[in-house]
Amino acid sequence: MLEIKNLHKRYGKFYAVNGLDLSIPEGEIFGFVGPNGAGKSTTMKIICGLLTATSGEITVDGVDALRHNNKIKEDIGYMPDFFGVYDDLKVDEYLDFYASVYKVKDANKNKMITDLLELVDLGNKRDAYVDNLSRGMKQRLCLARSLIHNPKLLILDEPASGLDPRARVEMKAILRNLKDMGKTILISSHILSELAEMCTSIGIIDNGKIVISGTVTEIMQQIYSKKLIKIKVNDKLEEAVTILKEFPFIDKITTGENQIQAAFDGGEEDMSRVLYSLVTRSIPVATFAQLDGNLEDVFMKVTKGGEEQ
Amino acid sequence: MMINPVLLKEIKVKMRSWKAVGIIGGYLLILAAVALFITYANASDMYSSTINPQFSIGAYTGIAIIQFILILFIAPALTAGAIAGERERQTLDLILCTKLAPRSIILGKLLASMSHILILIIASIPMFSIVFLYGGISVVEIAQLFGFYIVTAIMAGSIGIFFSTYVKKTIAATVLTYALGIFMCFGTLFIAVFYIRIFYNYNYQSYFPLFYINPLAGFSSLLTEQFGGQYGGILNMIPGLYMVNPLNVKGTAPWLINTYVNIGISVVMLFLAAIKINPTRRGIFFFLKRK
Repeated sequence: MLEIKNLHKRYGKFYAVNGLDLSIPEGEIFGFVGPNGAGKSTTMKIICGLLTATSGEITVDGVDALRHNNKIKEDIGYMPDFFGVYDDLKVDEYLDFYASVYKVKDANKNKMITDLLELVDLGNKRDAYVDNLSRGMKQRLCLARSLIHNPKLLILDEPASGLDPRARVEMKAILRNLKDMGKTILISSHILSELAEMCTSIGIIDNGKIVISGTVTEIMQQIYSKKLIKIKVNDKLEEAVTILKEFPFIDKITTGENQIQAAFDGGEEDMSRVLYSLVTRSIPVATFAQLDGNLEDVFMKVTKGGEEQ
Repeated sequence: MMINPVLLKEIKVKMRSWKAVGIIGGYLLILAAVALFITYANASDMYSSTINPQFSIGAYTGIAIIQFILILFIAPALTAGAIAGERERQTLDLILCTKLAPRSIILGKLLASMSHILILIIASIPMFSIVFLYGGISVVEIAQLFGFYIVTAIMAGSIGIFFSTYVKKTIAATVLTYALGIFMCFGTLFIAVFYIRIFYNYNYQSYFPLFYINPLAGFSSLLTEQFGGQYGGILNMIPGLYMVNPLNVKGTAPWLINTYVNIGISVVMLFLAAIKINPTRRGIFFFLKRK
C-alpha cells in the first residue's frame, strides 16, 4: 500500500529525513516510533502532500505520491498531532464540512457521519459544539474526520498524545476496529510500548532514517541475541542458582529478592529441562517465565546507536 | 452546481456569531445617525416651502462617504485573519491535505467575507431611500456607487487575504493590510503632491497615475462625475486629483480606470495567495525551470 524509497527532506544543511525506506503492505498497522524530532511528522506530512520532499520516492497504492499528489489525496486520511477545530461548528457540521470538501455525495453523507460518530463513540454528541468537547472527544472526532472519505490508508500522527489512560484505551479499541475493517494504518508515537500491542509491525526512526523495523518479536531478537528468563522461588535461592549454572546455555545470572534473571540461549526443550531439574531437586519454583524484554530499553538502545553515528 | 464548501462553512460560522450581528448593527447605526442628522438639518429649515435638491445630493454624498469609509475599514478586518486564523487554529493543514484546490480555499474565504460586505451594502439600501424622497439621484448612479463599493471591497479583501497567507499571525496580517491601505489612500497623495511640486511646480492638469491605486481618489472621481463635475470642491486643490470637470479628463473616467486597476490588484493578490498556500508549490516561475 505504501512504499517509501530513499526519502530526503532538507532544511538548509539539516536533514529532517535522511534516506528513509519503508514498506507497508495492505491491511497492516505500522507503528512509526522515534524520539521527538526524529522525522516522523515530516515524513507523514510529505506523504500527505503537506510538504515537498528534497528527493526520494513515495508510492501509495501504486501511484507516485510526489508527482501526482492530488490523485492520492482521496486514498489518504490524515490525523495530525494537534486537533484543529472551528469554534462555532457543531460536531455533525464539522464532519459535514469535511465531507463536502472531499466531495462525498449528499446521499451518502448523513449515513457516513452517523456511522463514523458511532465508530468513535460520539453518537450522542452530534449536536454539541466542537469547542465544548473534551480533549479525548476532540481527538476521536479528528479521527472520524480523517475517515470521512473512506480512505484506504490512514496516517495518524501521535493520535493518543495528551490523552488520559481511559481515552488511550478507547483510542486503541477504535484503531483495532479500523484494522478489522481492512484499513492500512501508519501510526506514530514516541512511546514504543504504546504501539507494540496494537501494531502488526514497527519501525524505529532516528535522525531521519529507519534504524530497525519488523514485528516486535523480530526487533527484540535483533536487539537481544539471547532470551531472558525470570524464575521466582519461595526458598533455596542459592541452590537454584547453582543448578542453573550447570547448564551451558545459561549465563549472566542475576538475583534479587527470591528471584533470578538469566540470559538463555537454548530451545524450548532446554527450557523444560531447566524447569524439570529445579522441580525434581526440590526447589520451590513459584514462577518460571521467558521475558519479552524491555521495550523502552530496546528504544533507548536503538536510538542511542543512531546518535552515535 | 456545487457551492464552494469553504464559503458555505464560513458563512455559517460568521453569521452565527455575535460579531456579525455587532458589525451589521453598528454599521447601520452609524449610517442611520448620518441620515438622521442630514434629514434633521434639512427639516430645521422650516421657512423653506420648496424641496431643495441640494438636500438630496448632500444626503447622498454624506451616506456614500460614510459607507465607503466603513467598507474600507471592515473589508480588510474580515479577510486579514482568513488564512492566518486557520493557521492559528491549526486547521489549515486539514484543508490543504484534502482535494480542495488552493484557489478554491482562497476564493471561498474571499467570497465569504464579500458576502458579509454585500449584506452590509444591501442593509444600507433603506438609508438611501431617503435620497429618493427628494429626487436628484438616479438608480443608475446608486448602482454605480454600489458596484464601486463591491470592487473596492474585493480589492481591500484580496490584500487582506494576501497578507494572511504570507504572514503567520492574524494581528501582523491585519496591521500590514491597514498599512498598505493607508499608503494607497494617503501615501500616494503625498507622493503625488511632492512629485508634482518638484517636477511640475503644481502645474499638472491631469489625473496623476498613482491615484489609480487610490480608492479615495477613485471614489471622489465617481461622485464628482455623478454631479457633473459640480462638487469637486476642496479635492480640486489637490494637485493631480484633477476632477473639477470630468470633461477635462480625456477618455475613460478616472473612477472607471480605478475600478479596472482594483480588479487587477485583486487578481494578482489572490493569485499570489493561492500560490503561497499550496504546500507542494514549485514557485511562481516554475515553468521557466522546466528542462
